[in-house]
Amino acid sequence: MWVSLLVACVCAVASSAQTSGDLALGLSEFNKGNFTSAAALFARAEEAAPGTTDALLHASKAYIHLEQFTAAEGALRRYLLVHAASGDALYLLGYVLHREGKAAESLETYTKAAQLRTPIGDDLKIVGLNYVLLNDYPDATKWLEKAVEAEPKNKEAWYFLGRAYYTKSRLPEARKAFLTVLELDPRDAKAENNLGLILESEAQPDAAMDAYRKAIRWQEQSPHPSEQPYLNLGSLLMEQSQVREAVALLQKAVELAPKDAICRLKLGTAYLRLGKLADAQRDLERAVQFAPDDPATHYQLGKLYKEMKALDRAKAEFDRTAELQSRAASPKPQ
Amino acid sequence: MKRWPKTDIRHCRYWNLDARFVILFLCLLPVPLILVASQEQTSTPLTSPSATPGKFVDITARSGIDFRYQASHTSQKYLPETMGAGVALFDYDNDGRLDVFLVNGAPLSDPTPKGTIPQKTGPQYWNRLYHQKTNGTFEDVTEKAGLQGTGYGMGVAVGDYDNDGYEDLYVTAYGGNKLYHNNGNGTFSDVTQKAGVGGSGWSTSAAWVDLDGDGFLDLVVLRYLEWDFDDIWCGEHKEGYRAYCHPDFFKPISPLVYHNNGNGTFTEVASKLGLARPGKGLGLAIADYDRDGHIDLFVANDSMVEFLYHNKGNGTFEEVGLPSEVAVDIDGRTYAGMGVDFADYDNDGWPDIVVTDLANQRYALYRNNGDGSFTYASTTTGISKMTLAHSGWGIRFLDYDNDGWKDLLIAQGHDLDTVELTHPNLRYREPMLLARNTGKSFVDVSAESGAIFQKPWVARGMATGDLDNDGRVDAVVNTNEGPAYVLHNETPTENHWILLKLAGHQSNRDGIGAEVKAVTASGAQFATVTTTSSYLSSSDKRVHFGLGKSGVVQQIQVRWPSGIVQTLKDVHANQILQIDEPSGSPRW
Repeated sequence: MWVSLLVACVCAVASSAQTSGDLALGLSEFNKGNFTSAAALFARAEEAAPGTTDALLHASKAYIHLEQFTAAEGALRRYLLVHAASGDALYLLGYVLHREGKAAESLETYTKAAQLRTPIGDDLKIVGLNYVLLNDYPDATKWLEKAVEAEPKNKEAWYFLGRAYYTKSRLPEARKAFLTVLELDPRDAKAENNLGLILESEAQPDAAMDAYRKAIRWQEQSPHPSEQPYLNLGSLLMEQSQVREAVALLQKAVELAPKDAICRLKLGTAYLRLGKLADAQRDLERAVQFAPDDPATHYQLGKLYKEMKALDRAKAEFDRTAELQSRAASPKPQ
Repeated sequence: MKRWPKTDIRHCRYWNLDARFVILFLCLLPVPLILVASQEQTSTPLTSPSATPGKFVDITARSGIDFRYQASHTSQKYLPETMGAGVALFDYDNDGRLDVFLVNGAPLSDPTPKGTIPQKTGPQYWNRLYHQKTNGTFEDVTEKAGLQGTGYGMGVAVGDYDNDGYEDLYVTAYGGNKLYHNNGNGTFSDVTQKAGVGGSGWSTSAAWVDLDGDGFLDLVVLRYLEWDFDDIWCGEHKEGYRAYCHPDFFKPISPLVYHNNGNGTFTEVASKLGLARPGKGLGLAIADYDRDGHIDLFVANDSMVEFLYHNKGNGTFEEVGLPSEVAVDIDGRTYAGMGVDFADYDNDGWPDIVVTDLANQRYALYRNNGDGSFTYASTTTGISKMTLAHSGWGIRFLDYDNDGWKDLLIAQGHDLDTVELTHPNLRYREPMLLARNTGKSFVDVSAESGAIFQKPWVARGMATGDLDNDGRVDAVVNTNEGPAYVLHNETPTENHWILLKLAGHQSNRDGIGAEVKAVTASGAQFATVTTTSSYLSSSDKRVHFGLGKSGVVQQIQVRWPSGIVQTLKDVHANQILQIDEPSGSPRW
C-alpha cells in the first residue's frame, strides 16, 4: 500500500535526478521493477562518487521494495550525513523505522522532518500508526484524524482510523470511517469485513454474517485475499452451533494464513466439536506452536487431550491455561 | 479475539421416621390482602402450555417498601459506585412470611482520599429491614431491629449460624463486614467483633454453608479486588467519556472462609481448606455437583477464570474449573462473571451452572454431564442468542409457571454509565429478562410477561422467594442509584406446586446443603437447600417445586448434610411443608 506511493515518489525523484552511468542504469532497473539489481547499481554509483548524488536515497527505496528495511535505514542514514536538510529522506527514514517496529524513533524522525516540510496525509497516517504500535490510541486517533483531514480521500488513512476507533470501542465513529472507505471504494473487502465486526459488537449476528459474506465475495478476484472474513464468518457460525458450515470457511482461512494461530485454533476447535480428534489435534497443536502464550489455545488443546483420555497432557494444558489466564488478569502498566 | 489489523402460612409439618409420616400440625395463614385483586386473575386456564408467558407485576408502590440505593456517584468513577448491592428474602420473626432486607451504600466525597473507609452518615444510606405484615404489606423495622449498618454495603447472606431457630444476617461492605445475630425478639445484635468475622478489603457475595459437616454453618466471603480510592482515569480522555476501570487494572484477592467454632466464634481457614486462590469474586453458589455427598462451591469471577471448588470430602477443596470446563466460555475466553445460580435446570439430577456477564459475552450456561464435567450449553439452549446484547447481574433458576421446569429470571443493566456513547445499541439501563425453560431450550418470554420487562433499570442484586405463599415465586430487585422493586408473580396457571421448609436437627438448622428430590408422574426434580446464589443476595431458603398437572408428589427424598436420607411418599401438592430431619445414622 505504502509502497505504491513510494513508487510514485521514486519516479518523481528519478525524473529530476542525475541520469548518468550506474545511477541511470539503476533508475532504469528500478522503473522495470528489478529492485535487486537497481539497489546494486545505486550502491556502485554511490561508491563511485560518495555523497555527490541521490544514489543512496534511491537505493533506500529499492530496499523498501525488497522489504530490506535494515538496509534501507542504513542507506538513508548515510545519505542524511551529507544531505541533512532533505525532508524527503527524513520522511522516508521515518517510514522505514516504522516498518522496523521502531515506533518511538520513527516519531522522532517525523518530528524532525516536519520542520523541513509540511507532512502530507500519508505521513500523518504513519505517525498515527506509530502511536498504535505504542498502544497510545488517543494520539493514534488524533494523528489519523489529521491524516484524513489533510487528505479526505486517503482510503488507507480512513481504514486505519476506523480500526483505531474500533479498538477503543468507539463504534459509531468506526462505522463512519469504514463507510467512508466504502464511499471511496465501494467494494473494499477490508472495510466491509470491519463493518461485520462492528455489527457483531452490536449484537447483530445476522447482519454481521451478511457483511462477512459480502467481503468474501468482493475479494474473490483479489490476488491476495484475506483470511479475516472467512475466519470471522466461520467463528460466528460456530457460535450459532453451525459447526459443519463453519469448517469449510475455517479451512479456507487456514489455507490463506497457515501460520495464523487464531485460524488454526478455530478450525481445531471446530474439529473437536465434530469429534474429529486427529484433525483437531493437528490444528490445535499448531495453534499452540504459533501462539504459545494464548490461554484459549492451551484450553482447547487441554479439552482435546481430555477427550483423547490423555489426562496428564490435558492437565498440563489446563495448568498452562490457568497460568496464562492469571497473568492476563493481572494489572497492566498504566 | 479480533485483532489489529485484524486485532427465585400454611405450615404443614411432617416428621418422617423410617419413611412413616407423622403430621404434627397444619395451619392455614390468611391470604394476604395485597394479593386479593391479583389472584382473581389466576383462574385463567392455560391454552398453550408450551407458550406460557409469565406475569410479574411491580407492586412496590403498594407494598410499603420505599427504598432507594445510594451509590454516591462521583466524577472519579470509583468502581464501587457501579456495583450495586444485594437483597435478602428471609423470615426473621418466624411468622411464616418472608421479610425483606436491602443493602445500601454510603456517601463518597469527590474525590475521596485514598485509604478512606466510607461510612453511612444518615438515614438515606441505611440498610433497611422491612417486615411483612399479615396483610402482605411491609413496614420498615430497621431501627427497631438495629440493622442500619455502617459502611458502603455490598452483599447479604442469611443463615442460622447458631442453630437457635432464628435467621442471622451477614452484611458485606467495602472496608469491613458485619454479623448480626437475630435475638428472636425482632432485634439483632452486632456480634462481628466477638465472632471475628469483620474481614477487610472489598467483600461481595457471601455464603452460609456447612463445609465440614459438623452441623454448624460456616461462612464463605468473596472479595472482589485489591482496590483503593486512587485517581485512575479509564476510558477516553474526553469530557463525558471517563469510565469505570476494567478489573484487569487491579489485583485479584483471596476470599475469606470462616469456620464456625460452634460457640459464637469463627476461625479464618481459607488457606487451610484450599479455598484461598485469589480471584475477583462477585457471585457465589453452592451445590454438590458430583453428588458425592459433599457440598461444592462455584465462584463467579469478573474477567478471569471462574472457580469450581470441589469438596474432596476430607474437609479440603480443590479448584477444578478448567478441567471441569466451567472456567471459561466455549472458546476458552474469560468473561465478566457476576451473578450465578447452581441448580438442575434439565431435571437430570445433576446441578447445572448459569453465570451472568456483560453484553457481547453471552451468559454462560454449563450443563452438568454427570461425570464431573460440564458442557457449555449457552449456544444450544438459546441463552447465547437472547443474552448477547444484555448485561446481567442477579440471576435465579425459578419455575415461574410451576410447569416443572426451572426458568430463568435475570436482573440486568450495563456496568458502564457511558456505554451508550461508545456502543449505541447497548443500554446502561435494561429491563429484566425472563427466559422460559421448555424442557429442551430457553425462550425469551420477557415481552409477553408484564410491563416490568419493558422498564429499563440499572438492576443489580436480586433475591427470589414466595412472598405471599401462593406457590408462585416472586422477586425483589435492588437497583443502582434507584429504587428497589417488588415483583409479584401473578402468572396465570393451574399448575400445582409445593414449598419445602427444611429444619435440620443433626444438620444445620436451615438444612442448607440438603439435596431434595421430588418425584411426580412427570418425572423427578432436584434442588439444593441454599440461600446463596444470584448476585450479592440471599434468597428464600425454602425449596420450591412446580409440579405441573401432578396433584400429588409421589416421593420426596431429602439427603441431609448429616448424610441422613429421608423419604416422604404421596405428598399432596399446593402446600408449604416443613420437613424435620429425623434422628438416625447416615446412609451413605
